[in-house]
Amino acid sequence: MTETPPAISPTISVMLKKARDWLTHEHSLFKSLNLEPVLIGKGRATFAVDLPADFSNADGLIHGGLMTIIMDSIFGLAVFTALEELKPIATINLRSDYLADTRAGARVLCTSKCIEIRGDVAYVSGDIKTQTDNTLLAIGSGTFMVGTRGPTKGSRL
Amino acid sequence: MSRSIDANIQKMIEASPIASWLGFSASHFGEQNIYRLAFDEKHIGNPAIRALHGGAIATFLEVAAQCELVGGLDTGASIKTINADINYLASSRAQAMEGSATITRLGRRIAFVEATGWQQSADRPVAKGMFRFRIGTDN
Repeated sequence: MTETPPAISPTISVMLKKARDWLTHEHSLFKSLNLEPVLIGKGRATFAVDLPADFSNADGLIHGGLMTIIMDSIFGLAVFTALEELKPIATINLRSDYLADTRAGARVLCTSKCIEIRGDVAYVSGDIKTQTDNTLLAIGSGTFMVGTRGPTKGSRL
Repeated sequence: MSRSIDANIQKMIEASPIASWLGFSASHFGEQNIYRLAFDEKHIGNPAIRALHGGAIATFLEVAAQCELVGGLDTGASIKTINADINYLASSRAQAMEGSATITRLGRRIAFVEATGWQQSADRPVAKGMFRFRIGTDN
């Protein structure tokens, strides 16, 4: 049974809807990844994502860097969903383990959870699995600074 | 003084779609390889502050680490990234990035490579990455 996450703050929910529309239609990088929200809740973000051929190695396998691009993006969204009010965030560090290879053209699910926000540091973990057969491709964990200096400095959105 | 880059590194860059997406290039100065991420709008993560996407920076550092390792290995040995650990040390700008990489330890089966990226000057790094690779043709 799928666990239902608590509701997102209304302020954050409005921001996320606006951001989603803009990111999926206007933003060059995210448009190419064909992002589609699967589950959004407080501290939770799961998106379906394409793995385009532009991000492959010479052998046709997807480069691990794309896993980091996806996790940095979706992990950041998970942090936003956990906030009560909009604050800029910035990645402090991100660790990605690459467990299996996949070819360009696959569609994957990136599942992320903001485990805790302690003070101004958010702790996030998640993984990437193929949508067709649930093969675990990558796992990741990261920390994000919440409330960086300036109105938007360091924000990932 | 600039010299031509290792042929294996150049071959890898030319054959790799991800290197093309990054606008990745390499040159050799003194005793060091210098890697370059060309600026492109598609590398922007946050349009509000015009910063490079953290994942694009991480990918640049990983490709730089791969190149450094390929240049240090016997021809034909395959490499596969086990994991990547990136520290974001400072905000990036909507500009090209340069980087260098150092092989910390090259074993028979595992290699550890550290890569650093900067924009304004090499002594003000934007990000550092530590990468572990599996070496061998049967990995």
